[in-house]
Amino acid sequence: MSALLAMDKVRGGYGDADILLGVSLVVAPREIVVIVGPNGAGKSTAMKAVFGLLKVRGGSILVEGRDITGLATNRIVEAGVCYVPQVDNVFREMTVHENLEMGAFLRKGDLSAAYDRVYALFPDLKERQKALAGNLSGGQRQMVAMGRALMLEPKILLLDEPTAGLSPKYMEQIFQICRDVRDSGVAILLVEQHAKQALAFADRGYVLAQGANRHEGTGAELLADREVAEMFLGG
Amino acid sequence: MLDLINFYLVPGIVLGSIYALGAVGITLVFAILRYAHLAHGDLATLGAFLALAVVSAIGLPVYAALPVAMIVTAGVAVGVDRLFYDYLRERPKIVTVMASLGVALMIRSLVQVIWGVDAESYTRGISRPENWWGIRLKDREIATVAVMIGLVLALQLFLLRTKWGKAMRAMSDNPDLALLSGIDNRKVVTLTWIIVGGLCAASGYFLGLNTELKSLMGWQMLLPMFAAAILGGVGRIEGAVIGGLVVGIAEELSVLVLPSEYKAAMAFAILLVMLLVRPTGLLRGKVL
Repeated sequence: MSALLAMDKVRGGYGDADILLGVSLVVAPREIVVIVGPNGAGKSTAMKAVFGLLKVRGGSILVEGRDITGLATNRIVEAGVCYVPQVDNVFREMTVHENLEMGAFLRKGDLSAAYDRVYALFPDLKERQKALAGNLSGGQRQMVAMGRALMLEPKILLLDEPTAGLSPKYMEQIFQICRDVRDSGVAILLVEQHAKQALAFADRGYVLAQGANRHEGTGAELLADREVAEMFLGG
Repeated sequence: MLDLINFYLVPGIVLGSIYALGAVGITLVFAILRYAHLAHGDLATLGAFLALAVVSAIGLPVYAALPVAMIVTAGVAVGVDRLFYDYLRERPKIVTVMASLGVALMIRSLVQVIWGVDAESYTRGISRPENWWGIRLKDREIATVAVMIGLVLALQLFLLRTKWGKAMRAMSDNPDLALLSGIDNRKVVTLTWIIVGGLCAASGYFLGLNTELKSLMGWQMLLPMFAAAILGGVGRIEGAVIGGLVVGIAEELSVLVLPSEYKAAMAFAILLVMLLVRPTGLLRGKVL
């Protein structure tokens, strides 16, 4: 299995204290990988480490075998990694279409194929192209955020709690979109609060606790693991 | 009625247009760079005197001096950013605000060293107003308002239609997400200063054209320009224009009820009332 993204024993944090104490994970092409774990386990932090949003003090982060540790954010974007933050993930005072256009900022030439692709994944957005992103519902906003990230045609998409605060209906819809995105050839790494549902739909999962790996395996394996169930999934 | 228009409203709109040009720049700096730029007025002074240099030394017509002054001032603004503000980007914003006060004093001193402290003007003699159905307008007054409207419309088109204009809006809207989208923030900052420098020069030039050039002219405009930007709503271009016009007209009309020494206090009063009553401004800008 050649890794698209490989984190190896990554340590780091925002200030002087380390939040990540050795996180390792691998994402293969066309794979949905989920990170679950209790609050404060360093799930979102691990994701931000990939994106160079915190100080990485140890370990390495490779994208397709190339070390991206410590690169500037726009270089990491150029390497084919796109990140959707949990909050504030759209340009509120810009239209849906403009949000997508900003997502493709680094691309030159004709973008119509990229727009078509994103609008095919999110038919809701196509109808609301001219609406301001800030006026959309939470679920639609999440779609704009994912669409913006997909405009760059990344190799891997990082999603930080895409279903936080959404109704079960929207949650299922977002998961379905993740599958569609995966099937279109983009790997996905996501952090999820809803551990059960996420493990059920992901290809593989990692359980983090206190800034380090605790368990890993396929979604089904982790769901069946008694210790995982008791510790993180609330029985 | 005509007297009211000729003596108060027309000068108010002209002054308001001059404030508007400055306020649009202030609101752009607030929205994209997120600090109050106190050297704004003195940058306008520099622009006005650069135009004077073009008129008196090179002998170009008065109106031709405007684009030259705008381009040179834009260059100065970018240079100031690279020399001073760029180093402070990661520090608390108040550090940059204080640095901009230092820059203001430097620019003013430079103007005084080069052009002296006496009042100057672009043209000699008196310009006669023309009569438009009883309303008396001078050419330069029409030019001031027309150029202000033209520049603001051009800026709006740029921000709404072009890729880099949209990048500026994105940076104002959500700077973190703009970075995540791969937008080069250094280029956006440079572009912002080019626009802001040009607008500064235009406001200084028109103040000089309609009154006279003094080394303190821009500094004295700083408060009304800030009042206009906050009145309109921070980050709102059209708000800054409305704010500028309101402050300009209010200053001229205040003479009807207050001694004229209090004219300058009008902007301060508007600023205070606005911050107390509606800090988002008339058009719902950002809260600072």
